[in-house]
Amino acid sequence: MTLPSVADSAPASPQTVGSGPADEATRRRVGADLWRAVSRNRKAVVGALLLLFFIVLAVFPGQIAPYSGTAEIFPRGLGPSSAHWFGTTAYGQDVLSQLIWSTRESVIIAFAVGGLATAIAVLVGVSAGYLGGTSDGILSLITDVVLVIPIFPLIIVIAAYERNSGLFTLVIVLGALGWSYGARQLRSQTLSLRTRDFLEAARVRGERKLYVILFEILPTMTSLIVASFLGAALYAVLFAAGLQFIGLGNPNSQSWGTMLYWAENNEALGAGMVYWAIMPGVCVALLGAAFALLNYAFDEISNPALRLRKLERKGVRTLPEPAPAPVERSDQLLEVRELSVAYASDAGPVVAVDNVSFDVARGEFLGIVGESGCGKSTLLYAIARLLGAPLAGEITDGQVIFKGRDMVTLAEKELRHIRWRDYSVVMQSAMNALNPVLTVAAQMRDACEAHSDMTKREIEARSREVLRLVSIDPVHLHSYPHQLSGGMRQRAMIAMALLFTPDLVIMDEPTSALDVVGQRSLMVQIKELQERLGFAVVFVTHDISLVRHFSDRLLVMYAAQVSELGRTDQVFRKPLHPYTRGLLEAFPSIHGPKVRLVGIPGSPPDLRRPPAGCRFSPRCPHVTDRCLTRPPALRDVEGELVRCVLYDNGAAPEIGREVATAAERVQ
Amino acid sequence: MRFVLRRLGFFVVTLWAAVTLNFLIPRLMPGNAAIAMMSRYKGHVNPQSLHALEIAFGVNQHQSLLSAYFTYLGNIARGHFGISLTFFPDTVAHQVLQALPWTLCLVGITTVLAFLLGTLIGLISGWRRGGMLDGALPPLFVITSAFPYFWLALLAIWLFAIKLGWFPESGGYEVTSTIGWNWTFANDVVVHSILPALTILVTAIGGWILTMRNNMITVLAEDYVRMARAKGLKPWRIMWTYAGRNAILPNLVGFAMSLGFVVGGAILVEFVFNYPGVGWMFLQSVENQDYALMQALFLMITVTVLLAILAADVATALLDPRTRDRA
Repeated sequence: MTLPSVADSAPASPQTVGSGPADEATRRRVGADLWRAVSRNRKAVVGALLLLFFIVLAVFPGQIAPYSGTAEIFPRGLGPSSAHWFGTTAYGQDVLSQLIWSTRESVIIAFAVGGLATAIAVLVGVSAGYLGGTSDGILSLITDVVLVIPIFPLIIVIAAYERNSGLFTLVIVLGALGWSYGARQLRSQTLSLRTRDFLEAARVRGERKLYVILFEILPTMTSLIVASFLGAALYAVLFAAGLQFIGLGNPNSQSWGTMLYWAENNEALGAGMVYWAIMPGVCVALLGAAFALLNYAFDEISNPALRLRKLERKGVRTLPEPAPAPVERSDQLLEVRELSVAYASDAGPVVAVDNVSFDVARGEFLGIVGESGCGKSTLLYAIARLLGAPLAGEITDGQVIFKGRDMVTLAEKELRHIRWRDYSVVMQSAMNALNPVLTVAAQMRDACEAHSDMTKREIEARSREVLRLVSIDPVHLHSYPHQLSGGMRQRAMIAMALLFTPDLVIMDEPTSALDVVGQRSLMVQIKELQERLGFAVVFVTHDISLVRHFSDRLLVMYAAQVSELGRTDQVFRKPLHPYTRGLLEAFPSIHGPKVRLVGIPGSPPDLRRPPAGCRFSPRCPHVTDRCLTRPPALRDVEGELVRCVLYDNGAAPEIGREVATAAERVQ
Repeated sequence: MRFVLRRLGFFVVTLWAAVTLNFLIPRLMPGNAAIAMMSRYKGHVNPQSLHALEIAFGVNQHQSLLSAYFTYLGNIARGHFGISLTFFPDTVAHQVLQALPWTLCLVGITTVLAFLLGTLIGLISGWRRGGMLDGALPPLFVITSAFPYFWLALLAIWLFAIKLGWFPESGGYEVTSTIGWNWTFANDVVVHSILPALTILVTAIGGWILTMRNNMITVLAEDYVRMARAKGLKPWRIMWTYAGRNAILPNLVGFAMSLGFVVGGAILVEFVFNYPGVGWMFLQSVENQDYALMQALFLMITVTVLLAILAADVATALLDPRTRDRA
């Protein structure tokens, strides 16, 4: 028999349990959320109804079954009739009644073995994960050994010595052998929880280990524990039926497996007593299917990536304002017009990029800054037409005109030809963005082969050339990504982006994985390459000071919208939006006088429920009544764009002065 | 290096656990099944073999548990598994070797086929997320994975052998044909293997489809797949070298384990079809209370699982450069 583990080994992703900073509150909500998710999942509902059906049969067989199952004797081997729906057995018993009376044993086995195996799995798995060290080593070893010992043959060996064993022995043996898969999953989940804040807090409070495990860890793992129970129950139903079928159970017991045993011994199928041989199997299959469906549903629930959500475009609400007239320039490369992107979520569509417009000239360096969760990366991937799982966002509106063509309406096939040749992408972490199983050379060759007729030798030569551009010794060309240092990987990715010397390189925080020194030197190098090769850069970062000396213009994003857009030096000298000012104050100045860092209190709004008026109003030091009700429009102030009511009547001197002092500090 | 040592330790411990279970189970079980068996051996077996059997099954009361255990370990290490009661006076080892090829061919080929087909379907189904294939197959196979497969075997016999008469009902070959390397016999064997093979395939494929689909969905969310899209690679290339190759890695260990379970994995199918393989022999030994044969088979089944996991380790190292460096 194949291992039950094969059927359900999609690991639950650790980050799904209790996400966000409010671990405590999240943990409390787990129960309610779980229930809501289950009741919405069609597979879960079907599985639960099936299970309920069998539980009712198991509890009230006397009330439901037409006959007693064994005691009453009818003519032997009858076909189906209104008196005997599924006919009679070779011993003259009513098949339907036997089926109903047999439900009890299977249900008891399923729940008892499921419960026992899960209890052991929780005990072993959580202890191993939480205690760590030698205890973990020993417990994990035991788990692995039990996992690979062939269970079904072992059960047969045990049953061979202990024939006609009762229900109790069967439950103990199945339970003692069926826990290892669940234990392994629970262990890795516990390991990932160990460093979480609420556990650290409990440790600091000096809570006892048992208390921590029972009241802090277990509640967060509800869905995994349920999945472990369902898997063990399914395996118990199938194994028990198999054992009874070959006559290793108690032949006088009332169970579906025993029915199959007698049916096989009497050659029921050959003799035409078809229902006798088919229906017990159908019952086992249905009860098993109930557990399998529930298990699959729980997998989907605990790992949201497995669920497919569809965006309801009707519910998408974006800013109604028209884009400012584009600046007509002869060297225009990229023109983003009124671009909006929305995600599907359980609470309806979420607009992550709201009516954003800007343009980039050839050779220009545009910085896009803002805190995490403001839609910067989404904007970037929308421009590059790279939205899709896990960012299952969709462009709902707008245009992205790149070299005269609208990228939004371009078919994937046409898009493929301009990708990497005309524009390339550099991602945040090369560790994740480079294919771990291919060498750097192979990944460069892929790109070359997709877009040119270069020979193998030419590709090799070009790959070496670009590596040298980013000052990596070409000996590393045939290394795997994990063999390179963090800085080298990042450079290798930039080298790859330059294979065809594209017109535009889109960069998503390409330096944030590095330390401060590495960041600086990489920035300098990017800037040098840009000036030498003449490509334009769209550069996303949350660190406004990073692009200070490198970008020509700066776009400040807040809560999916443009808050400010202007020349970098001008934005630094005189930041208009209170948010930009806050960003500038959040970073220490190297040269200026020592001042206390102010930063911005609070965090960006939940984009599912953005504030009604100005989205920055809850955190703004200059908030007025006007801000709370009406969303401010994007205004042109001395050639810069800013979204703030302070500038509804032109420049606002009172904030301008404070801002100036703030900016001085940064310089 | 540490990785290799730890794996070796794991193999040794597992093997030891299986051998020890074999030693302990007859002693832990109440009832005198083993003594009953021993009395049937008396007079048939030379005193030396009888002594070895006594130690293996704990019938000999004169020896302490510990010293019996070590004598038993010594016998196992030298490959003395005892004498089969069923096939007396043939040795257990010889009997097992006769049944092994049947099982290896039937279950081995179907296991590999199930893995390849299931992985392929899962890969495409995950790649074309929400498509026709993805909508129909995974839910279907969630349900079939819960089917008792011996029962499917019964149904297959009833429908295709009894009702339609397309295939023979049972056995590995016609009783009338002579075993040998000739076309008629080969044809005979193939015809007999189709129904059991289909039964195993249908029940085993579902797990592979589901896990591969889920792995694929997880991998498709990785940055390197998005990077491959950004590079403008052909979808075909992204599907295989970027998504598929990474998605299959977690399944390799599972595949190896399923290969390991080839020998003991289709016991019930062999039983239903009277297929002359290891599983059928295993149940025969249980039926005849031939414990020496039964325990030898159980040990062999465990060893094949371990060998298969070893093979998986090697395969993973070949496909995943990160593990290669760790080892």
